[in-house]
Amino acid sequence: MQAPAPSSFADISDVIAIFVLLTEFAMFRAPLLRSQLKLYAVQSLLVTVLAGFLATSHHISELYLLGAASFLLKVLAVPYVLTRFLERTEMSLVTGPSLGAASMTLIAIATSAFGFFTMDATKVGSTVLPTTALAISIAIVLVAFLLAIMRSDVVSQAIGFLSLENGVSIASLVVASGLPLIIDVAFLFDLLVAAVVFGLLMKAHHVRAKTLSTANLDRLKG
Amino acid sequence: MGNLNLSPVVVQIIQVLTILLGAPLVSGTISNISARLQGRRGPRVLQPYYDLIKLFQKETLAPEDSSFVFLLAPMVAFVCYLTVPLLIPVLTTFGLPLGYMGDILGGGFILALAGFSVALAGTETGAPYAQLGSSRAMTFGALIEPTVLMVVFAAGIITSTDLPYAMAATVRSSASEILRPAHVLAALAFFMVVLTDTGRIPVESHSGTLEFGMIDEGRTLEHSGPPFALLKWGSAMKQLILYTILIDVFVAPWGLASNTLLSSVMLAVLALLAKAIVLGVIFAVIDNSFSKLRLFKITEFLAAAFLLGTLSVLIFYLGGG
Repeated sequence: MQAPAPSSFADISDVIAIFVLLTEFAMFRAPLLRSQLKLYAVQSLLVTVLAGFLATSHHISELYLLGAASFLLKVLAVPYVLTRFLERTEMSLVTGPSLGAASMTLIAIATSAFGFFTMDATKVGSTVLPTTALAISIAIVLVAFLLAIMRSDVVSQAIGFLSLENGVSIASLVVASGLPLIIDVAFLFDLLVAAVVFGLLMKAHHVRAKTLSTANLDRLKG
Repeated sequence: MGNLNLSPVVVQIIQVLTILLGAPLVSGTISNISARLQGRRGPRVLQPYYDLIKLFQKETLAPEDSSFVFLLAPMVAFVCYLTVPLLIPVLTTFGLPLGYMGDILGGGFILALAGFSVALAGTETGAPYAQLGSSRAMTFGALIEPTVLMVVFAAGIITSTDLPYAMAATVRSSASEILRPAHVLAALAFFMVVLTDTGRIPVESHSGTLEFGMIDEGRTLEHSGPPFALLKWGSAMKQLILYTILIDVFVAPWGLASNTLLSSVMLAVLALLAKAIVLGVIFAVIDNSFSKLRLFKITEFLAAAFLLGTLSVLIFYLGGG
């Protein structure tokens, strides 16, 4: 007995979602802050492509607008600003617990497996619900958490948060692509605010601590 | 003439001959194109055939302390590479008489036996570089094995069989089978396995002469004459076998013969060689755009391949795709 083939257009969005997950893994492994930012730009580009694809296949013209906005913001603006910030601070290496390649890979696999398992355990099997893409987006969110938790520098933590938003927007795109535009735009504005706040935080932290590492923050007491 | 109906046994023999005689052509074309990408004129496309003819005319020399294993191993490896094309879809969409005598794992075991015997011959020499090559080849072989298993599992659970023919038929059946996330991931993982096993950048530089960077190439440094010719021919065949599995099982199983007419079988031979050369060009482009990884970074590359393979299985079981 063969497994049934997935439906015609859902599989393309699934594959795009898979590539977003792969960029998340790559970010998790990237040794340079600069390469992390590049990967974030690539990941955001993939999300934009997904929005464009869904706009074409579902005939939702609002999604084009959303795609354009997220392209300008997430592919161009945020990576550009953060790259400029990195150039000024002259710090390039990611800091954090140095685990071997094998352990990092196994942790990432286990985390995404947990994400898939969660989706499987909810038993919301419906023909209209794109279960695969949803499971992938949960995995993306979890690996983004992992990225933010395991790194101990402000830039990686910010990138972790921003890529988490990419995971969430994939979920919202595939599950509710007909969502009113105002809600999606509100999400984007949230992201813009987050980017500005993170930018200020990173700058303040760098000025006060002369480093990007958050290790000394652990010793602060109230 | 064009409508001559061949017996399946003859097709099976043609299948082995295609791999046997086509492999040096594919290798030669790839190294020619690779040279052109670097702005050199490069060797002739038929150069590997001339190399083999030359080596078969030379005398055989063996290190003083080596035993019969040193001379026997190249033959064992060569026979293994002749056996695998019986099991995989090289020319036809349907299984030939011996096509079902082993599954994907069976083919994998035979390839592993070939690798093992070459490594054994390398250690038999007592020469440091050959032993280094053997040791590295076995180490990285062991690290790539889990990925191969995961790819086999993924192919197995998608088609519910472990026969390469069934996998190819599934891929041919509809476009959405190709875009199935589990299939995309398994194909990517297998692509990385082929990169590793054929000794391409980023794992190993194919045309290097620096012994310290060698993995697969290092094992055969001490061989000479006809046994060396068999080893070189064998590694070209291994490359074409892996290309064939990637093309005809995972990526593009089109252009295969669906009957035993002479014309369609000949067309399938040409289609296979053309597809293998296209794939080879992709590998040559990768060869020229990336640098070789440091030896201790290769594990990261293999870990990434393993990640793709595991995700493929996971996403099929739990993610519903």
